[in-house]
Amino acid sequence: MHPISRLTVPALRGISLEVKKGEVLALVGANGAGKSTLLRILTTLLIPTCGRAEVCGFDVTREPAKVRLQIGYHTGGDACFYSRLTARENLLLFAGLNNISEAKASTRIAELSDPFGLGELLDRQVRALSTGNVHRLGLARAMLHRPSVFILDEPTRSLDPLAAAEFRRFLLKDIVEGHGTSMIFASHTLAEVEQLAGKIAVLDDGRLLACDTLANIKTSAGAHTLEESLEILTRQASRDEQ
Amino acid sequence: MRDSTQFALTLRKLVLLFRRDFAVARSYRAAFLIEIFESLLASASFYFLSRFVESPALEKSLPPGTTYFSFALVGIAFFDYLGVALSTFDGSLQEARQNGTLENLLVTQTSLPVILAGSSLYPFVLMSLRTAIYIGWGAALFGFPLQGANWLGAVLVLAASVLAFSGLGILSASYLLIFKRGNPVNWAILGLSSVVGGMMYPISVLPKWLQYVARITPVTYSLEGMRAAILGHATMRELLPPIAALLLFAALLLPISFSIFSWALRRTKITGTLTHF
Repeated sequence: MHPISRLTVPALRGISLEVKKGEVLALVGANGAGKSTLLRILTTLLIPTCGRAEVCGFDVTREPAKVRLQIGYHTGGDACFYSRLTARENLLLFAGLNNISEAKASTRIAELSDPFGLGELLDRQVRALSTGNVHRLGLARAMLHRPSVFILDEPTRSLDPLAAAEFRRFLLKDIVEGHGTSMIFASHTLAEVEQLAGKIAVLDDGRLLACDTLANIKTSAGAHTLEESLEILTRQASRDEQ
Repeated sequence: MRDSTQFALTLRKLVLLFRRDFAVARSYRAAFLIEIFESLLASASFYFLSRFVESPALEKSLPPGTTYFSFALVGIAFFDYLGVALSTFDGSLQEARQNGTLENLLVTQTSLPVILAGSSLYPFVLMSLRTAIYIGWGAALFGFPLQGANWLGAVLVLAASVLAFSGLGILSASYLLIFKRGNPVNWAILGLSSVVGGMMYPISVLPKWLQYVARITPVTYSLEGMRAAILGHATMRELLPPIAALLLFAALLLPISFSIFSWALRRTKITGTLTHF
């Protein structure tokens, strides 16, 4: 698409869903289904051309600063820090950009360093940290301003299976159960979705095919597994469209 | 009260972004030393070039009491501010896109214009340091005249220049936001300014019509003001015309460039291309 041409391809169509406090919602679907678009709208990185989205009662288009105060955002990429600064310098910078004073940020970093296992790593340059530790650092950054909602885009994309499993346990135990934070995440790893999500939204070509608990999705699709459910739901959707 | 708190918060963010860039630059220790010696070599080459080209005829076309070496050194050193202004905004945007920090910066409580302004501080401070080193080498080794210079006047001309040039830099960043690569705005402004701005020769040697073009180019007033303050020992009153011209450019360019930038930012947030490069 030419940068100044008219918009022609809708990335999301007629999606309506709600996530309650303390709930974990997983977005699943093929590449291009609209998962990242939806997350980016919720984080105010994208402006929807029509429709409405709210985070904690704040409209993402009209009150983006208030929305950003409510969210902690983390993507699965491992190149999202200033690699030549230490972990602590990075956290202090992002805390400052979130209007947290240096004294309060230092206290908060100390609070977070234990549960996130960052203690010894804080004074190392980020380029010297392992991918798993950069992810922990990313989550710690997203937690600095005590957000009410966590938004994660493929959180374990670049982690090895063991590190991913540990990361998922950490997310569930410390972030969701420990802090009562709501979480919305997109993932292609169905085992991860089954382990973490209380509710699953199935997207296909910008449309919402289902949004329910794992058990209900399997029942309504007449499937035994989530993978099978996805196949049945997307096949049905493309048949309906024809 | 709320405004002053907001202002204090913005200032703090600007300082934080400056400290970030300083800490990153400090981690590349050799680069700064190389910079010092590069400016020595550049000063030396201008000096020997000026010895080759200086003649009574040339001196007549230069401002009174000015040698070609001092004329060219001020021209080169301060012209670079335009280059920094044009490259710093789109450079920091490009860097944030490439190192993956842009999205994380944008979900903070800091707007993109403040992020870009903060990211431009270090390059401007570094440029000032480089200019001081240029002039320092020139004075220490090649007889660049420092006595009688109006330094306060030079600082005011510089501040007005940075404001005017920043308007152009924000325009350049707007282009980059939308089109991602290849920046004709940057190229056209730098190219035109280097021809008509009076960097290496006074604009009086240009054909009449190019002299008119020079008069609508901010760098012309910047270099005239700098040379008048440093080499011509001009008083504050004498510096008013170039400073006023630069402030007029800033008053025109900054609102226009901010509007275009805001439009470009909104556009990329709708098309989903903000983080593309």
